[in-house]
Amino acid sequence: MFNKTIAIALLYALLSTPLLAQNYVVNVNGIVCEFCAYGVGKKIRKLPFIDRSQYDQGVRVDIENQRVFVALREDALFDKSALFKAIESGGYNPVDIREIPNKEPVEVIE
Amino acid sequence: MKPILAVLFFTLAGNLYAHQPVMDMAPRWNNGYGVQTRIEHANSETTTWLEGVYTFKPSLRMTLKVPHSNGEIGDAIFAMPIKRYKNAGAFTSNWGLTPSVRMPTGGGSQWDAGLSLSYSSESRKVYQLYDLYTLGDTTGVDINVGLVHADGKGSSWFTLWDITAKDSDSGQHLLSGPVLVYFKRNLILRAEYKFSAYDDDSQWDGDYFSFGIGLVY
Repeated sequence: MFNKTIAIALLYALLSTPLLAQNYVVNVNGIVCEFCAYGVGKKIRKLPFIDRSQYDQGVRVDIENQRVFVALREDALFDKSALFKAIESGGYNPVDIREIPNKEPVEVIE
Repeated sequence: MKPILAVLFFTLAGNLYAHQPVMDMAPRWNNGYGVQTRIEHANSETTTWLEGVYTFKPSLRMTLKVPHSNGEIGDAIFAMPIKRYKNAGAFTSNWGLTPSVRMPTGGGSQWDAGLSLSYSSESRKVYQLYDLYTLGDTTGVDINVGLVHADGKGSSWFTLWDITAKDSDSGQHLLSGPVLVYFKRNLILRAEYKFSAYDDDSQWDGDYFSFGIGLVY
Protein backbone atom coordinates (compact mmCIF):
# COMPACT_ATOMS: atom_id res chain seq x y z
CA MET A 1 0.00 0.00 0.00
CA PHE A 2 2.81 2.35 0.98
CA ASN A 3 4.77 1.60 -2.20
CA LYS A 4 1.66 2.10 -4.30
CA THR A 5 1.06 5.50 -2.70
CA ILE A 6 4.63 6.54 -3.36
CA ALA A 7 4.40 5.33 -6.94
CA ILE A 8 1.21 7.32 -7.51
CA ALA A 9 2.71 10.38 -5.87
CA LEU A 10 5.83 10.13 -8.02
CA LEU A 11 3.77 9.63 -11.15
CA TYR A 12 1.62 12.65 -10.27
CA ALA A 13 4.68 14.76 -9.59
CA LEU A 14 6.20 13.71 -12.87
CA LEU A 15 3.08 14.43 -14.90
CA SER A 16 2.37 17.70 -13.18
CA THR A 17 5.86 19.07 -13.77
CA PRO A 18 5.69 21.28 -16.86
CA LEU A 19 8.01 20.23 -19.63
CA LEU A 20 10.68 22.78 -20.22
CA ALA A 21 9.97 24.54 -23.44
CA GLN A 22 12.71 24.11 -25.96
CA ASN A 23 14.26 27.25 -27.35
CA TYR A 24 15.48 27.48 -30.91
CA VAL A 25 18.14 29.19 -32.93
CA VAL A 26 17.57 30.09 -36.57
CA ASN A 27 20.28 30.93 -39.07
CA VAL A 28 19.09 33.90 -41.12
CA ASN A 29 20.70 35.15 -44.30
CA GLY A 30 21.46 38.86 -44.55
CA ILE A 31 20.70 39.89 -40.99
CA VAL A 32 23.76 42.07 -40.50
CA CYS A 33 22.61 45.28 -38.82
CA GLU A 34 20.85 46.43 -35.69
CA PHE A 35 18.04 47.77 -37.78
CA CYS A 36 17.63 44.39 -39.48
CA ALA A 37 17.42 42.88 -36.00
CA TYR A 38 14.77 45.36 -34.94
CA GLY A 39 12.47 44.51 -37.85
CA VAL A 40 12.78 40.76 -37.49
CA GLY A 41 12.38 40.89 -33.72
CA LYS A 42 9.28 43.01 -34.10
CA LYS A 43 7.63 40.39 -36.31
CA ILE A 44 8.66 37.38 -34.20
CA ARG A 45 7.40 38.90 -30.94
CA LYS A 46 3.88 38.94 -32.34
CA LEU A 47 3.79 35.14 -32.52
CA PRO A 48 1.65 33.52 -29.82
CA PHE A 49 4.19 30.90 -28.80
CA ILE A 50 7.00 33.33 -27.96
CA ASP A 51 8.00 33.58 -24.31
CA ARG A 52 8.59 37.28 -23.83
CA SER A 53 10.09 36.73 -20.39
CA GLN A 54 13.32 35.46 -21.92
CA TYR A 55 16.03 37.18 -23.98
CA ASP A 56 14.88 40.59 -25.21
CA GLN A 57 11.13 40.03 -25.03
CA GLY A 58 11.50 36.50 -26.37
CA VAL A 59 14.01 37.16 -29.14
CA ARG A 60 17.72 37.73 -29.33
CA VAL A 61 19.49 38.50 -32.58
CA ASP A 62 23.19 37.80 -33.06
CA ILE A 63 24.10 39.98 -36.03
CA GLU A 64 27.73 38.91 -35.77
CA ASN A 65 26.79 35.37 -36.80
CA GLN A 66 23.39 35.95 -38.46
CA ARG A 67 21.49 33.94 -35.85
CA VAL A 68 18.13 34.55 -34.22
CA PHE A 69 17.38 32.96 -30.85
CA VAL A 70 13.74 32.48 -29.95
CA ALA A 71 12.29 31.49 -26.58
CA LEU A 72 9.11 29.44 -26.58
CA ARG A 73 6.28 29.45 -24.09
CA GLU A 74 5.74 26.17 -22.26
CA ASP A 75 2.00 26.21 -22.77
CA ALA A 76 1.91 26.97 -26.47
CA LEU A 77 2.35 24.96 -29.61
CA PHE A 78 5.43 25.83 -31.64
CA ASP A 79 4.73 26.53 -35.30
CA LYS A 80 7.96 26.49 -37.27
CA SER A 81 6.40 27.68 -40.53
CA ALA A 82 4.86 30.67 -38.73
CA LEU A 83 8.29 31.52 -37.31
CA PHE A 84 9.89 31.35 -40.75
CA LYS A 85 7.12 33.47 -42.25
CA ALA A 86 7.61 36.07 -39.54
CA ILE A 87 11.31 36.29 -40.35
CA GLU A 88 10.55 36.58 -44.06
CA SER A 89 7.99 39.31 -43.43
CA GLY A 90 10.73 41.09 -41.50
CA GLY A 91 12.70 41.16 -44.74
CA TYR A 92 15.18 38.30 -44.34
CA ASN A 93 15.59 34.64 -45.27
CA PRO A 94 15.68 31.89 -42.64
CA VAL A 95 17.99 29.07 -43.63
CA ASP A 96 17.70 26.40 -40.96
CA ILE A 97 16.64 25.90 -37.38
CA ARG A 98 17.82 23.78 -34.48
CA GLU A 99 16.83 23.21 -30.91
CA ILE A 100 18.96 24.65 -28.18
CA PRO A 101 19.61 21.99 -25.54
CA ASN A 102 18.23 23.20 -22.23
CA LYS A 103 21.62 23.42 -20.63
CA GLU A 104 23.40 24.94 -23.57
CA PRO A 105 24.47 28.46 -22.76
CA VAL A 106 22.93 30.96 -25.10
CA GLU A 107 25.71 33.44 -25.06
CA VAL A 108 25.85 35.74 -28.02
CA ILE A 109 29.17 36.99 -29.21
CA GLU A 110 29.02 40.76 -29.33
CA MET B 1 -3.20 53.88 -36.59
CA LYS B 2 -4.39 52.58 -39.95
CA PRO B 3 -1.51 52.36 -42.40
CA ILE B 4 -3.17 54.49 -45.03
CA LEU B 5 -3.94 57.15 -42.44
CA ALA B 6 -0.35 57.02 -41.33
CA VAL B 7 0.80 57.73 -44.84
CA LEU B 8 -1.66 60.52 -45.33
CA PHE B 9 -0.79 62.01 -41.99
CA PHE B 10 2.94 61.57 -42.02
CA THR B 11 4.33 63.08 -45.08
CA LEU B 12 7.88 62.77 -46.06
CA ALA B 13 10.81 64.88 -47.09
CA GLY B 14 13.62 65.23 -49.43
CA ASN B 15 13.58 65.80 -53.13
CA LEU B 16 16.80 67.71 -53.03
CA TYR B 17 18.70 64.72 -51.73
CA ALA B 18 16.29 61.87 -51.63
CA HIS B 19 18.20 59.15 -49.87
CA GLN B 20 17.42 59.36 -46.23
CA PRO B 21 17.45 56.37 -43.90
CA VAL B 22 13.74 56.09 -43.40
CA MET B 23 13.34 56.08 -47.13
CA ASP B 24 16.01 53.71 -48.29
CA MET B 25 17.03 51.59 -45.33
CA ALA B 26 13.82 51.17 -43.43
CA PRO B 27 11.26 50.02 -42.73
CA ARG B 28 12.05 46.86 -44.58
CA TRP B 29 9.33 44.72 -42.98
CA ASN B 30 5.80 44.04 -44.24
CA ASN B 31 3.28 46.74 -43.33
CA GLY B 32 5.90 48.93 -41.75
CA TYR B 33 5.73 52.67 -41.81
CA GLY B 34 7.95 55.56 -40.88
CA VAL B 35 8.03 59.30 -40.48
CA GLN B 36 10.89 61.69 -40.66
CA THR B 37 11.45 65.38 -40.35
CA ARG B 38 14.53 66.99 -41.76
CA ILE B 39 15.96 70.46 -41.73
CA GLU B 40 17.97 71.30 -44.79
CA HIS B 41 20.04 74.40 -45.42
CA ALA B 42 21.16 75.22 -48.95
CA ASN B 43 21.30 78.28 -51.16
CA SER B 44 20.94 80.57 -48.12
CA GLU B 45 17.54 79.06 -47.45
CA THR B 46 16.32 76.67 -44.78
CA THR B 47 13.69 74.10 -45.69
CA THR B 48 11.90 71.73 -43.35
CA TRP B 49 10.84 68.49 -44.91
CA LEU B 50 8.14 66.20 -43.64
CA GLU B 51 8.51 62.69 -44.97
CA GLY B 52 6.52 59.49 -44.68
CA VAL B 53 6.97 55.97 -45.95
CA TYR B 54 4.79 52.87 -45.99
CA THR B 55 6.21 49.44 -46.78
CA PHE B 56 3.63 47.04 -48.19
CA LYS B 57 6.30 44.36 -48.38
CA PRO B 58 10.09 44.57 -48.71
CA SER B 59 9.80 44.81 -52.49
CA LEU B 60 7.24 47.62 -52.56
CA ARG B 61 6.97 50.93 -50.69
CA MET B 62 5.38 54.27 -51.18
CA THR B 63 6.77 57.56 -49.99
CA LEU B 64 5.62 61.14 -49.77
CA LYS B 65 7.87 64.14 -49.18
CA VAL B 66 6.61 67.65 -48.51
CA PRO B 67 8.87 70.70 -48.19
CA HIS B 68 8.05 73.71 -46.06
CA SER B 69 9.97 76.95 -46.37
CA ASN B 70 9.33 80.61 -45.54
CA GLY B 71 5.88 79.76 -44.25
CA GLU B 72 4.81 78.05 -47.44
CA ILE B 73 4.42 74.46 -48.55
CA GLY B 74 6.42 73.52 -51.63
CA ASP B 75 5.96 70.86 -54.27
CA ALA B 76 5.40 67.42 -52.79
CA ILE B 77 6.98 64.29 -54.25
CA PHE B 78 5.23 60.95 -54.33
CA ALA B 79 7.24 57.83 -55.17
CA MET B 80 6.84 54.06 -55.32
CA PRO B 81 10.21 52.38 -54.64
CA ILE B 82 10.31 48.84 -56.04
CA LYS B 83 13.17 46.80 -54.63
CA ARG B 84 14.66 43.42 -55.26
CA TYR B 85 16.58 42.15 -52.24
CA LYS B 86 19.25 39.52 -52.07
CA ASN B 87 20.32 38.07 -48.73
CA ALA B 88 23.41 35.88 -48.52
CA GLY B 89 25.14 35.06 -45.26
CA ALA B 90 26.53 38.23 -43.74
CA PHE B 91 25.56 40.39 -46.72
CA THR B 92 22.38 41.97 -47.94
CA SER B 93 21.84 44.04 -51.07
CA ASN B 94 19.10 45.40 -53.23
CA TRP B 95 18.38 46.92 -56.60
CA GLY B 96 15.76 49.62 -56.64
CA LEU B 97 13.64 51.17 -59.34
CA THR B 98 11.66 54.19 -58.17
CA PRO B 99 9.13 56.03 -60.32
CA SER B 100 8.10 59.34 -58.83
CA VAL B 101 6.00 62.40 -59.49
CA ARG B 102 6.47 65.96 -58.23
CA MET B 103 3.11 67.60 -57.67
CA PRO B 104 2.42 71.34 -57.85
CA THR B 105 1.29 71.61 -54.23
CA GLY B 106 3.41 74.75 -53.91
CA GLY B 107 1.06 76.75 -56.04
CA GLY B 108 2.39 76.15 -59.53
CA SER B 109 0.81 74.09 -62.25
CA GLN B 110 3.63 71.89 -63.48
CA TRP B 111 3.81 68.19 -62.79
CA ASP B 112 7.20 66.49 -63.10
CA ALA B 113 7.93 62.82 -63.54
CA GLY B 114 10.99 61.11 -62.14
CA LEU B 115 12.78 57.79 -62.18
CA SER B 116 15.59 56.42 -60.06
CA LEU B 117 17.77 53.34 -60.46
CA SER B 118 19.69 52.44 -57.33
CA TYR B 119 21.82 49.74 -55.77
CA SER B 120 22.72 49.46 -52.11
CA SER B 121 24.42 46.83 -50.01
CA GLU B 122 25.37 46.29 -46.43
CA SER B 123 27.69 43.91 -44.65
CA ARG B 124 28.74 43.86 -41.03
CA LYS B 125 31.27 46.61 -41.70
CA VAL B 126 30.47 48.38 -44.97
CA TYR B 127 27.47 50.19 -46.40
CA GLN B 128 27.22 51.56 -49.92
CA LEU B 129 24.55 53.15 -52.06
CA TYR B 130 24.62 54.26 -55.68
CA ASP B 131 21.73 56.07 -57.24
CA LEU B 132 21.16 57.45 -60.72
CA TYR B 133 18.01 59.50 -61.02
CA THR B 134 16.10 62.02 -63.02
CA LEU B 135 13.30 64.33 -61.90
CA GLY B 136 11.94 67.13 -64.05
CA ASP B 137 14.87 68.85 -65.71
CA THR B 138 17.39 67.40 -63.25
CA THR B 139 19.59 64.36 -63.67
CA GLY B 140 21.82 63.31 -60.81
CA VAL B 141 24.06 60.74 -59.24
CA ASP B 142 24.21 60.14 -55.51
CA ILE B 143 26.82 57.93 -53.83
CA ASN B 144 27.11 57.01 -50.16
CA VAL B 145 29.94 54.73 -49.07
CA GLY B 146 31.27 54.08 -45.59
CA LEU B 147 31.64 52.03 -42.46
CA VAL B 148 29.11 50.48 -40.10
CA HIS B 149 29.80 50.27 -36.38
CA ALA B 150 27.27 48.13 -34.49
CA ASP B 151 27.44 47.74 -30.73
CA GLY B 152 25.49 44.46 -30.67
CA LYS B 153 23.01 45.97 -28.23
CA GLY B 154 20.53 47.58 -30.56
CA SER B 155 22.31 50.62 -31.89
CA SER B 156 24.74 51.36 -34.67
CA TRP B 157 26.61 54.20 -36.34
CA PHE B 158 27.20 54.69 -40.03
CA THR B 159 30.07 56.98 -40.98
CA LEU B 160 29.69 57.61 -44.69
CA TRP B 161 31.08 59.80 -47.40
CA ASP B 162 28.65 61.32 -49.85
CA ILE B 163 29.20 62.45 -53.42
CA THR B 164 26.33 64.15 -55.22
CA ALA B 165 26.44 65.38 -58.80
CA LYS B 166 23.58 67.17 -60.53
CA ASP B 167 22.90 68.43 -64.00
CA SER B 168 19.91 70.62 -64.80
CA ASP B 169 18.84 73.46 -67.05
CA SER B 170 20.59 75.90 -64.70
CA GLY B 171 23.97 74.11 -64.92
CA GLN B 172 25.96 71.51 -63.03
CA HIS B 173 27.30 71.21 -59.52
CA LEU B 174 29.11 68.64 -57.44
CA LEU B 175 28.86 68.34 -53.67
CA SER B 176 30.77 66.07 -51.33
CA GLY B 177 31.07 65.57 -47.61
CA PRO B 178 30.56 63.39 -44.54
CA VAL B 179 27.33 61.78 -43.41
CA LEU B 180 26.70 60.45 -39.93
CA VAL B 181 23.77 58.10 -39.30
CA TYR B 182 22.72 56.71 -35.92
CA PHE B 183 20.22 53.91 -35.32
CA LYS B 184 18.73 52.97 -31.98
CA ARG B 185 15.85 50.48 -32.15
CA ASN B 186 13.25 52.40 -34.20
CA LEU B 187 14.94 55.80 -34.02
CA ILE B 188 17.14 57.15 -36.80
CA LEU B 189 19.24 60.32 -36.78
CA ARG B 190 21.11 61.57 -39.78
CA ALA B 191 23.40 64.58 -40.19
CA GLU B 192 25.27 65.55 -43.31
CA TYR B 193 27.44 68.37 -44.50
CA LYS B 194 28.47 68.73 -48.12
CA PHE B 195 30.82 71.30 -49.51
CA SER B 196 30.60 72.56 -53.03
CA ALA B 197 33.40 70.88 -54.95
CA TYR B 198 32.32 72.16 -58.35
CA ASP B 199 29.74 74.78 -59.17
CA ASP B 200 28.69 75.87 -62.61
CA ASP B 201 25.08 76.20 -61.68
CA SER B 202 23.32 79.56 -61.75
CA GLN B 203 20.80 78.38 -59.16
CA TRP B 204 23.26 76.85 -56.70
CA ASP B 205 25.31 78.72 -54.16
CA GLY B 206 27.58 77.34 -51.48
CA ASP B 207 27.52 74.39 -49.15
CA TYR B 208 24.75 72.11 -47.92
CA PHE B 209 23.71 70.99 -44.46
CA SER B 210 20.97 68.62 -43.35
CA PHE B 211 19.80 67.09 -40.08
CA GLY B 212 16.96 64.58 -39.82
CA ILE B 213 15.12 62.57 -37.19
CA GLY B 214 13.02 59.56 -38.15
CA LEU B 215 10.95 56.89 -36.48
CA VAL B 216 9.75 53.59 -37.90
CA TYR B 217 7.04 51.24 -36.71
